[in-house]
Amino acid sequence: MNESAPNSARFEAPDDLEAINRLYRERRWSDGLPVVPPTVERVERMLRHARRPREEVVARVAPGFGAATVERIAINAVLAGCDPEALPVLIAATEAVVEPQFNLQGIQATTNPVAVWIIVNGPAAQKLGVNATFNCLGQGAWANATIGRALRLVLQNIGGALPGEMDRATQGQPGKFTFCCAENEAASPWEPLHVERGYGSGASTVTVVGAEGTMNMNTHTKDAGELLRAFAETMMHPPSNDYCHGGEPWLALGPEHAEILSRAGLSKAEVKRRLWEGSKMPARRMTGKDLLRVQDSRGAELGKIGPDTLLPVSHRPEDIHLIVAGGPGTHSTYIPSFGNTQAVTREITE
Amino acid sequence: MTICSTAFVTLGRAQASALGRPDLPIAVIAHPFGLRTREEVRGIAEQCVDDIARLVAGNKP
Repeated sequence: MNESAPNSARFEAPDDLEAINRLYRERRWSDGLPVVPPTVERVERMLRHARRPREEVVARVAPGFGAATVERIAINAVLAGCDPEALPVLIAATEAVVEPQFNLQGIQATTNPVAVWIIVNGPAAQKLGVNATFNCLGQGAWANATIGRALRLVLQNIGGALPGEMDRATQGQPGKFTFCCAENEAASPWEPLHVERGYGSGASTVTVVGAEGTMNMNTHTKDAGELLRAFAETMMHPPSNDYCHGGEPWLALGPEHAEILSRAGLSKAEVKRRLWEGSKMPARRMTGKDLLRVQDSRGAELGKIGPDTLLPVSHRPEDIHLIVAGGPGTHSTYIPSFGNTQAVTREITE
Repeated sequence: MTICSTAFVTLGRAQASALGRPDLPIAVIAHPFGLRTREEVRGIAEQCVDDIARLVAGNKP
């Protein structure tokens, strides 16, 4: 964006962590967890990792359309406890979430529990220590925890999506605190996500996904056909925004499951095609009222929808997305999407 | 003007202000609709159609 905004206001605050956290709590500038005070020195350290001027507006963030300047992103990164080297990831993620196809307005203001899942690919993942292996969607890795948290603070503090105000989530979900991992590229039998999406293998990227949550898929089968059937049956989920609107569901395949599929000679594209076919759901599984919503939303795509109509989870097989993530074990994760959203990938260029 | 259910008035007003239109007229309809039949929703629409027409014509509530 060719826009700049004034530098952030400075507050005199007591040199007392508890007092500062009281201030953040009162003003609702936190996510409910204690913050790292964004002192001038800490913000300056963070800003050394940006190429652009501090006052440059990276994006206008819905629903409040606050100006996400480089400096304001840095302040939220400090609050979240990020290493200064992570700032470029956050700048790229902020640029990504405001792309129209991501539908940030809907994601921020909806009653749906949707969180923003960040996937880091390329050399930056290792350099920053973004965990792609054991427990990569869980706790324990500083980069995963703080990068995901920092983006949430950007969305809340700059975008204005405060729970109960402009964030209208009925219940929300734990991923709204933080939701970030890297792809386990070393363990993947296929091209990594960023290469599939048109970037060079040496590029570093961030991909943002409007993710409803995580559903574990634990199966010990070694048969590719059975594995795909188990995945497809997990995807069939009647009260689902993906089936309602034609979405972009994701699977984070454990390396062992990915290897089974690869050994059977299946490409990523073929896995997607078979999942798309296998997860077609009889419309009668939905409630009558939800079927009316599907008719409104997908009538142009699918024609008249009756109880026997087989609903595909997405418009096209290629709209199902796969990454390989995690460590050893017989687990993969299904991550349904918000439905009205498309993932966006941006190169980390700072 | 815009139309908003009671559950979304806070969002609507905040967003109108953020976009530089704090005085945007908002017609407010009782929430929720999810438990209502289509006939009940039609009845609500008929009740508030005059308000909506007045706001569209530029008159404040």
